[in-house]
Amino acid sequence: MTYLTFQNVTKSYGDTKVVMPFNLNVAQGEFVAFLGPSGCGKTTLMRMVGGLEKPSSGTISLRDEPLTRPDRRRGMVFQSYSAFPWLTVAGNVAYGMRYRTDISATEKRAQVSHFLSLVGLTDFADSWPNRISGGMRQRVAIARTLAAGSEILLMDEPFGALDAQRREYLQLELRRLQQDEGKTVIFVTHDVEEAAFLADRVIVFTRRPACILAEVDISSKLGRDRSLDLRESSEFFALRNELLHLVRSTASVEENT
Amino acid sequence: MGNQKALIGVASTLSLLLVWEIVSKSGAVSERFLPAPSTVMLALWSMVFERDLLYHAGVSTLRVWTAFLIASAMAIPIGILMGSFKPIGAALEPVVDFIRYLPVPALVPLAIIWFGVGEGTKIFLLWLGTFFQLVLLVADDVRRVPKEFHETALTVGAPEWRRLTDVSLPAMLPTLVDNMRITLGWCWTYLIIAEIVAANSGLGFVIWQARRFFQTPEVMAGVVTIGIIGLVTDQILRALHRRSFGYLSR
Repeated sequence: MTYLTFQNVTKSYGDTKVVMPFNLNVAQGEFVAFLGPSGCGKTTLMRMVGGLEKPSSGTISLRDEPLTRPDRRRGMVFQSYSAFPWLTVAGNVAYGMRYRTDISATEKRAQVSHFLSLVGLTDFADSWPNRISGGMRQRVAIARTLAAGSEILLMDEPFGALDAQRREYLQLELRRLQQDEGKTVIFVTHDVEEAAFLADRVIVFTRRPACILAEVDISSKLGRDRSLDLRESSEFFALRNELLHLVRSTASVEENT
Repeated sequence: MGNQKALIGVASTLSLLLVWEIVSKSGAVSERFLPAPSTVMLALWSMVFERDLLYHAGVSTLRVWTAFLIASAMAIPIGILMGSFKPIGAALEPVVDFIRYLPVPALVPLAIIWFGVGEGTKIFLLWLGTFFQLVLLVADDVRRVPKEFHETALTVGAPEWRRLTDVSLPAMLPTLVDNMRITLGWCWTYLIIAEIVAANSGLGFVIWQARRFFQTPEVMAGVVTIGIIGLVTDQILRALHRRSFGYLSR
């Protein structure tokens, strides 16, 4: 049985085509990065997986069941900080479980600390989101989607607003979490290095309307375990350069026309 | 820093009052037209302790709050619906916008025809002046709630209608309270108009009576009373805001 599939998915707003017929299979537990220039339609594709937008034609299905509405199987982590400012860090994580019927109320309470420790926020359980750093706020959002029991994490440039050091640290954490929890991730980014470091497979997009320019298999070359040392290896550099050339080619296409 | 700011504020206010006092007492300006602050305070003193200023202040405050609470109780749910559901917003916005631009004083004659000169007229005028303003403010506040908050709710499995209670309401509450505080201030403006035109009680009536007898110190004392009530209410609401929404500070 296939897991997550895109079948001839298109999207247009009025006369503007945003996504060309798009086909892709994503395996369970796979980390897929959508890499492409800003505004190319990759975010729209990801939002359609979340059920937050509807395809103009074609279907996205999960285990052969078409996805039409948002539900907690696909959790979102946005680029902007989406932790609710009126709830504490723990309250935000608990909100992720609010509509779960598969676990009891007592279990939910116990699980809050579990998810907090997963993202390293145990000491900040009672803090307000406005008083913690941007990186921590993104960890709150990640913990919230994990608490919701989402099997697919949809992440839209979640580390875009962070400084380089923090971003590297969170990337490492995210990859470890994804491996440990067996989550499937679709990660939208325009950062070549981020895509190469995080993903099992990178889908490189053309300019709008979005279609696949290339698919680059990372895990067959780097393996599935990622560490900071890997970032300095020649294999990583080769992959990074390959992606960089692909992304540059999308830019030159526009400049030539 | 905060103390220093308060000190500067008090000092500048006191110097202004001092200049005013000197100008009035020196005879440069007739005290009939510009009574000195000390004269106004004496008038206020006797109006409070020898006459019934407090009663009139109470009546006015009661009117303001009655109309304000009625207007809020209607404006908040309707504004939330207008902001959350596009068709409702599209249906009501033109009407609300039109009425919002009508100057309340222009509707006083109509209000008197409809409600006579009793309490109904005053409550109606105050309601008119605040409801239509507040309803649009509330609708805007709801629309300004970040889309990501709503989408977060939906992707953790919240039913569609739950976005109102889980997201819209808590997210807009701080601005709502601020807008209500500002609207309450407008209520006082309309109240005085209503009380000058058609009343035999309230601060507007007191001021208007004093004018008829050319009691400028009493006119000013009435105005000062409104200022004091406004200042105190505003400070209380601000403090409440700080206490309730402390999570917003960084």
